[in-house]
Amino acid sequence: MSLHSAAPHTDTTASQAAVTRTRDWLIASAAAILALIALYAVFLDNGTLISATGDYLHEFAHDGRHLFGAPCH
Amino acid sequence: MHSSPVLPLLGRGLVAGGAAGLAAGLFSLLLAEPLMDRAIRAEEKRSAAEEHAHGAAQAVQHHEELFSRSTQHGGLVVAAVVAGLALGVLFAVAYAAVHRRDPAATPWPRALAFSAAAFLAVSLLPGLRYPANPPGVGDAGTVGDRQALWLAAVAIGVLGMFLVRQVYVRLSTRPEPVRHLAVALTAVVVLAALFLLPDNPDPVPVDATLLWDFRMLSLGSHALLWAVFAAVFGGLGLRAALRTPAAAGRATPVHP
Repeated sequence: MSLHSAAPHTDTTASQAAVTRTRDWLIASAAAILALIALYAVFLDNGTLISATGDYLHEFAHDGRHLFGAPCH
Repeated sequence: MHSSPVLPLLGRGLVAGGAAGLAAGLFSLLLAEPLMDRAIRAEEKRSAAEEHAHGAAQAVQHHEELFSRSTQHGGLVVAAVVAGLALGVLFAVAYAAVHRRDPAATPWPRALAFSAAAFLAVSLLPGLRYPANPPGVGDAGTVGDRQALWLAAVAIGVLGMFLVRQVYVRLSTRPEPVRHLAVALTAVVVLAALFLLPDNPDPVPVDATLLWDFRMLSLGSHALLWAVFAAVFGGLGLRAALRTPAAAGRATPVHP
């Protein structure tokens, strides 16, 4: 097998791998942002996320906040 | 051929986080809820006495009663599972980033070490600076300040952990005593930064035994969460590595 026939194939595989890697890191970043929003909702929200209806998230997760040491009223 | 390792790690983080959150949630439902119910009854007694002393107009309106206590018991387990899933995602992303050179290697010892570091960074260190308080402690007027302090403590814990690791990795060629002293010095600086944060401003008018028991159960729930997380995350990683022939040789530490 000559180097000339192998090189383009390797290039394609490498660029495909780069595309996959970029896509996967974008998915991971989106997942991390969602995770931070979820943690905010459970541990920090004081009626901002569902402000029209009251402090529902805070009261529902109330015991969890106390238990895991998050500041609570 | 190297397929990207991030997505399998994310999947493992979600499974391990869900299991860990469920375990911690059920543990605290059984052991911590009786204490929280007692603390709330004591608080109601306190505010009833205050009401008696100062007149009803000045009564402390603490719990709005949006949900019954039994709903809040369920909310504890839901909150623990959601927190476990979210922490699992963040753990997986951090794990993939730190181990990006060889993400499939030695999954079991790495999962244990990384989980222990995560426990220190987000559970133990913030918990030592701002220990958990049972219901009835916490002034609604100071909650914003206390949240900022708590987030600062978590940030110092996480950044401190990365800093300590960086020092340890960068000094790998130096003599061991130099390396260890540098790591210890970094840890002391991180701890000093943590304890230079202002104190929790709220009074804690709670029976000392109840307070101690509650804080022990809080730390216990954190520890259980990370222990279950480590076992599931590491176990799934080990299984995946053993299924891939290329990675199987690296699944357990080998010293050639």
